[in-house]
Amino acid sequence: MPTELSTPDASNTGALVRVDREKESAAERTKRFERDALQYMNQLYAAALRYTRNPDDAQDLVQDTYAKAYTSFHQFEPGTNLKAWLYRVLTTTFINTYRKDQRRPQSADGEIEDWQLADAANHTSDQGKSTEDVVLENLPDSDIKRALAEIPEEFRMAVYLADVEGFSYKEIADIVGVPTGTVMSRLHRGRKQLREKLTEYAKELGYVKGGAKS
Amino acid sequence: MSTMNCQNCQDSLILFIDNEIDDSAEFNEIAFHLQGCELCRERMELERRTISLIRALLTRSCCETAPETLQERIAHQIHELESAQIAGFTQTEIITQYRRTEITIDGETQIEIETSREIRRDFPF
Repeated sequence: MPTELSTPDASNTGALVRVDREKESAAERTKRFERDALQYMNQLYAAALRYTRNPDDAQDLVQDTYAKAYTSFHQFEPGTNLKAWLYRVLTTTFINTYRKDQRRPQSADGEIEDWQLADAANHTSDQGKSTEDVVLENLPDSDIKRALAEIPEEFRMAVYLADVEGFSYKEIADIVGVPTGTVMSRLHRGRKQLREKLTEYAKELGYVKGGAKS
Repeated sequence: MSTMNCQNCQDSLILFIDNEIDDSAEFNEIAFHLQGCELCRERMELERRTISLIRALLTRSCCETAPETLQERIAHQIHELESAQIAGFTQTEIITQYRRTEITIDGETQIEIETSREIRRDFPF
């Protein structure tokens, strides 16, 4: 089903409350921005971590995103999809700024110790699922994040935006600035590579046949 | 005009699972084909399981919350930007970071990182 602009915020932001952006004072705009835009901070931060793979850069990126979003908030059409708009600001800022000067070393491996390590081996298996699926489900969060961090950036973005944020192909195309056909192929290849990485980790840990442990 | 065969069906399988088929006639043709074709149905279920698994794993793992310091930085920044707007201009702080390398005569290398701040004010037209 076509679900363009059908996220929850479309129904409560501006669609019911008409906003006259011409007459709105700076204080009123700030209030509207704080009410509507700041609620996405955690989500934007989690996405920024995937983009930059570095907590310091992720924080800077989210801060820059909010600065840009605030200063161009008068351009945002109330009643349209604010979350997608913020993701577009985030993604454009990342592509234009952070990717160009990766001035800090990337530390995808170094962060793992902070991440929660689940007790992967002691889960019971569910009925009706393939054994491999059950094994992958029991991989620790750190492995899931590592696998995502290791696939190419374009694929990573597409998979994250579709499978975590639930954006449609068209919304992702607008956010990233590529045609929908490109989104589709990146998403497909990204999911495939992610799945392969996860299976690889499971093998390394000896959870899947053919792995290191015998 | 129903031209749905296994090949066409499989080409559209991902779109079907991702709910990206806008044309209801095409959607129904695929659904109809899947009802009658066990092979395609099995493939569809396999793909669907993989996608659901990926979604579940990523959603479970990637849910960090923004550190409090970041929330404070952003709140502070919004107020600064608002004050600037009330004063009649938009203000952008440009931070330029550049690296200068100095090599001393005895071959020792010294690297200094310098940061310059510039405040750019755009007056409204």
